[in-house]
Amino acid sequence: MLGKRLHHIAIAATTTSMLLSGLVAHAQTVTPLEIKFYYPTAVGGPIAKVLAGFADDFNTANPDVHVTPVYAGGYKDIYTAIDTQVKGGGAGPDVAILLSTDMNSLIDNDYIVPLDSFIKSSKEADTYLKDFFPAFLLNSQTTDGQTWGAPFQRSTPVLYYNQDLFKAAGLDSSKAPANLDELLADAKALTKADGSQWGIEIPSDGFPYWLFQGFAIGAGQNLVGDAPNKVFFNTPSTVSALQYFIDLQGKNAVMPKGVIQWNNTPADFTSGKAAMIYYTTGGLTNILANAKFGVGVGFLPAGTKGFGAPTGGGNLYILKSSPTANQAASWRWIEYLTSPQKQADWTVATGYIAARQTAWDTDTLKQLIAAHPQYGVARDQLKYAGKELGTHQGADLQQLFGRALQSALTGDKTPQQALDDAQAAADKILANYPN
Amino acid sequence: MSSIMLDPSTADSSATSATIGLTHGARLRRVLLPYLLILPTFLFIATFTLWPTVSAVINSTIKPGVTVKIAPRFVGLDNFRDLFDNSTDIGQSFPRILKNTLLFVAVTVPISMALAFFLALGLNRKLRGIGLFRFAFFYPVLMPMIGAASIFAFIYADNIGLANVVAHSFALPTHPWIGDAFWTPIAIMIVALWKQSGFYMIIYLAALQSLPADVYEAADLDGASGWVKLWHITWPLLSSTTIFVLVAAATNAFQMVDQLYALGQGVPDDKSNLLLYFIFQKFNERANSGYVNAITVVLLLLLACFTVFNFAVLDRQAYYEA
Repeated sequence: MLGKRLHHIAIAATTTSMLLSGLVAHAQTVTPLEIKFYYPTAVGGPIAKVLAGFADDFNTANPDVHVTPVYAGGYKDIYTAIDTQVKGGGAGPDVAILLSTDMNSLIDNDYIVPLDSFIKSSKEADTYLKDFFPAFLLNSQTTDGQTWGAPFQRSTPVLYYNQDLFKAAGLDSSKAPANLDELLADAKALTKADGSQWGIEIPSDGFPYWLFQGFAIGAGQNLVGDAPNKVFFNTPSTVSALQYFIDLQGKNAVMPKGVIQWNNTPADFTSGKAAMIYYTTGGLTNILANAKFGVGVGFLPAGTKGFGAPTGGGNLYILKSSPTANQAASWRWIEYLTSPQKQADWTVATGYIAARQTAWDTDTLKQLIAAHPQYGVARDQLKYAGKELGTHQGADLQQLFGRALQSALTGDKTPQQALDDAQAAADKILANYPN
Repeated sequence: MSSIMLDPSTADSSATSATIGLTHGARLRRVLLPYLLILPTFLFIATFTLWPTVSAVINSTIKPGVTVKIAPRFVGLDNFRDLFDNSTDIGQSFPRILKNTLLFVAVTVPISMALAFFLALGLNRKLRGIGLFRFAFFYPVLMPMIGAASIFAFIYADNIGLANVVAHSFALPTHPWIGDAFWTPIAIMIVALWKQSGFYMIIYLAALQSLPADVYEAADLDGASGWVKLWHITWPLLSSTTIFVLVAAATNAFQMVDQLYALGQGVPDDKSNLLLYFIFQKFNERANSGYVNAITVVLLLLLACFTVFNFAVLDRQAYYEA
């Protein structure tokens, strides 16, 4: 009995050592360059599985490189990980997905390298940048024309509406309200006085500046321009846009009072408590899966100066702390991830908008649009899209605007007062940055 | 215990039987041994407690360059002044958040201690299945805070959350629990009370079970009522436990932060924000490193004042079993 067991162990040991020597031999012939890739999850879906599949395909096709995707938490966690590792003199990732609005902070900290030299020496040197939707490059390039991030998982907010409730209220369920007057009229028709059904919900916790940028751009002045050291918080058009926003809760009473939570908004919509919501296009897959009614998707309703929406989401960045050879290999991984086909696959898996225009010519996305035309709305809205609030010390500026919006929502300040205070504090921060 | 350790005959039994030449070495060992014994602990505390504290104090006086190309400079107490300057971004938030934190401590500490004390009294009896009840009240302590807070996020959800659905079905008023300026801090305090009370209850329960029985027998002979026994015997005998629980509860409350991540992140307009979470929100931007260190120093000072007050003033009046 014992002898038999020893025999088994001996066989196992021999097999293992044979396998190990095989591995060693393999490693000696190829010695692939190890690339560490940090990524966050910010939306639902089997993100880790999809990216692992992408990496396997890439590694098979590129035997000299081995990309290891590392799930590193949320966007903020990845930023913190890089911050700590690089400051501590350690090895951070070679390439990472971070917020597009992190670009200026990453440059100010000297954490990333521009991509221009990589692009110039690539096969697509002349066409690569032109193929991205221009709106997605607004938070990827600096005013001096350098490109620092490759748009990867990008999104934009859209209006979702419940077609069944539209019909029940006697509204045209085939089209979304085209402008803010129609939005208000529809919302009034859809609101029930007992609070069991609201006309509209626009979340205002977490990062309220983002959805509000749709109102600001539509009113004629985005919250941010090309320069990363200037914001436009208290322009008259933005003050009146904020007044419209609070009136939805206050005098018009078509939106629940107080700060509405981002995380609850899709569930309020799919459960029929909210007839219309402002939400990211990244939530489309989830909403289509959970809604038991016709889901309509439209542009954010136009303001007095036309349509408008911000972009959002993450870029691919190459880290400065990464050795030169690794940076070159990282660029090949970025090229692969931003190739039209992979962008199309990523859209299907997650609901993000494929950032390359030619991705929408692939069969993958043609089939998706044929089955769910709603996916095309966000793409078509991109021609009206503006830059996301991204500046130096971007996270502080975003929080600053969010607090101003909330203080107006709760009635602590008038829109004018809230935005004046925010503008003053923002100017004080940005005065530290000469350009 | 320490006298035994310092006795050379037990600290190093070979020394006594060795030659006179080694006596000097033995004496040296006798002097060094205590230091050697505390060395691992000291190194640990120095690395993870003392040095970070010193580093926070140093960095709280430095304004970092907003980009790597700009050198940091010494600014004295400017960072602290900015925390209270209403024209700066940080100064618009900090005083409000400091006030929230003090209120959070002032409300949750007494309530969680009272809950813990009366729960412990209720559970300090021999009943069939009492262990189940004790476990039920202790269970929240075992849960990770962020998990507990995520469950409460569902309970508090506006239209579909359990709290509002139940309130609605009993025709009670419903609230936007997370997002409203009045209810959000309360919602966050409720989670903390639910989470922490069980822990202090266990401490009280352990203390109750070690109380001397003879005192109660004497009280019974004198015909003391239950209330008199509670107020004149149990409560004074537990005073040292109460001080310990008070210090632990206050220290924990100052550092309570995880639930904010799942419950509104300080909405609206920082009215439910707390100091430690504020540090978490601010520390990523390099320009804020002076501020977050200054806030850390403020937090440390608050905790230090509180702890010193407790041990210097209250502890003298406490009863310790001889």
